[in-house]
Amino acid sequence: MPDAATPTRTPAGDDMKILVLEDDRTTGDYIVDGLAREGHSVDLLTEGREGLIRATTADYDVMVVDRMLPGLDGLSVVRTLRASGNLTPVLFLTSLGGVDDRIEGLNAGADDYLTKPFAFGELSARLSALARRPQMKAEETVLAAGDLKMDLIRRRVTRAGQEIDLLPREFALLEHLLRRKGRVQTRTMLLEAVWDLNFDPQTNVVETHVSRLRAKVDRPFDRELIETVRGAGYRIAE
Amino acid sequence: MSRRPARGLWLSTPVRLAGGLVALFTLASMGTLGASYVVTRAALAEGLRDDLRSAVAGYAAAPTPGAIGELVAAEAEATDARRRIISYLAPDGRRYGNGYLAPGEEGFRLYPLEDLQLQNHLPYLALTARLRGGLLTVAASQSQIEDLGRAYVTLLLVSLLPSVVIAMAGGVWIARRTGRRIDGLGRVLDRIAAGDLAARVPETARRGDDLTVIGERINDMAAAREAATEALRQVSADIAHDLKTPIQRVSVLLERLRDLPELPPAAEDLAGRAVAETEGIAATFQALLQIAQIEGGSPRARFGAVDLTAVTETLAEVYTPAAEDSGHLLRTDLAPGPLLVTGDRALLGQVLANLIENALRHTPAGCEIRVRLQREAGAVVLEVSDDGPGIPAEEHGRVLRRLYRLERSRTTPGSGLGLSLVAVIADLHGADLQLGDAAPGLRVRLRFPAESSALAGKG
Repeated sequence: MPDAATPTRTPAGDDMKILVLEDDRTTGDYIVDGLAREGHSVDLLTEGREGLIRATTADYDVMVVDRMLPGLDGLSVVRTLRASGNLTPVLFLTSLGGVDDRIEGLNAGADDYLTKPFAFGELSARLSALARRPQMKAEETVLAAGDLKMDLIRRRVTRAGQEIDLLPREFALLEHLLRRKGRVQTRTMLLEAVWDLNFDPQTNVVETHVSRLRAKVDRPFDRELIETVRGAGYRIAE
Repeated sequence: MSRRPARGLWLSTPVRLAGGLVALFTLASMGTLGASYVVTRAALAEGLRDDLRSAVAGYAAAPTPGAIGELVAAEAEATDARRRIISYLAPDGRRYGNGYLAPGEEGFRLYPLEDLQLQNHLPYLALTARLRGGLLTVAASQSQIEDLGRAYVTLLLVSLLPSVVIAMAGGVWIARRTGRRIDGLGRVLDRIAAGDLAARVPETARRGDDLTVIGERINDMAAAREAATEALRQVSADIAHDLKTPIQRVSVLLERLRDLPELPPAAEDLAGRAVAETEGIAATFQALLQIAQIEGGSPRARFGAVDLTAVTETLAEVYTPAAEDSGHLLRTDLAPGPLLVTGDRALLGQVLANLIENALRHTPAGCEIRVRLQREAGAVVLEVSDDGPGIPAEEHGRVLRRLYRLERSRTTPGSGLGLSLVAVIADLHGADLQLGDAAPGLRVRLRFPAESSALAGKG
């Protein structure tokens, strides 16, 4: 599939203050470097206890916490943080990544979970999803992007006045992208959200669904709504 | 998980021990009573002989056969023939007495009952003596001696019966009690075998009791296994951490390289391929770690009722466009749901994903992949089959092995762990996994215990 290369840089208004707790220097620098290039301000700490103190004394939009940290491990950091009433969204990083570890992490109070090695695009997409919860306005019944309109009550999608016939799951996929307009959604995020599946497929299953959606939503029209973000996923531009 | 048949109560050790003791006790009692019977009987018989001898001697004082006859007649008058028979055959052929016993030689003789023309059927001991030319026979009933036998048999029964009843009842009671404790030990061992290493035999107050000692040993063993498993898990975690972090670094560096501005297209392509390779290494790692974790059995703690129909529908839907794009036909034949099994939805989804991906990867375009889900007696059967080249029957066992690849599939992508992961997840769910020939093609068949029976199996 030809990737329409689009810069991953998010608009300046989305800049976040991010705390990263990661003891591996190379990985830590890479995260900090990538996030800084996207315009976020990032603090990196390599020790658990120090990280916990920083997290409770400064105000962050979102945190990245490695599971294994010297001093105080990541699980304990998040648990202590939550016990003290701090609700800063936390993305857990881990080298493990079995179903057990995932659930253990989420039970400790983490909001999302990423297994090493990860692509930077995945981390960045998940962080912006976390920092902006809650992202939906419940009273919204019509979603729109450009000349595309989605009526959530009548389950109808039109573009430039033309009705588009979608299968239920295609509708759900498009709705998910529209609700998160401007934000990248990775393949695994889409698999989780639309199909409630939590695994990393070895084949391009998500791509094939997006390409079918595109065939209906984009191909007959002159402007492409669903963009491919290289190394990350998909998004609908604002 | 195999459930052993209930052991017969009569085969249990305490009952068998009690039975053995009863037999031994019976033999001993029979021995002592038998010996005392023999001695008593001999004494009684001797007494009888003395009695007869002195009776005969009493008549020796009479001077003539006529006098003896008178005496015998008088005495016989007052004697109950059932107890004693006295008869005298005088030299002139006259007979005196209360019964006639055909006299033979002098001395002691036993008269069997049929020789007696009397109503009672008891043997007599008779002593015949030549007296004044005639034959005097005094016979005494042996009933006392015969009664002795019956008395001893009664004595034996009376003394044995309560002991036998008490011993057997005690044996059964102990068997029941120890049986319950042994069943308890068995259940703990079953749970340990099923992967629940936290299972322990409850402590009892009976210190030093042999079953308590066995229970303690089982607990020691379970604790040792738990510690070993935990250590293994820790080692896997450490290895994962120590190796995945460098893999992460390599993939970071390669991504940076790939994203450098003004990179020659060939270099960008190479970097992209290297990134994909590191992803492959990571995926293999991930699968190995997952297998280790599932084999530990811990995901069972999260088991709940899962509708396999819904999971299969979702996975089939996810893979349909991918199958179409690679020229395959993905067909489903699902019994109307819900078909419930006890398990973990994510892992069951992983099973289907691996089986479908496996079929897509190892069959050429144009092949059909069929996913079939049926209810059978007490079971839910999931089948994924294709009409591709299949796997030779002799390879069926080997493809479930970790990292095993068929010679011809070495060049196709994949970790070689897909089917191993399916096998461990099936095992975790108590499902029976079979590879078969779909003639042509491969058929993978998973037979899950239906939800209700799966729960019953756990209890």
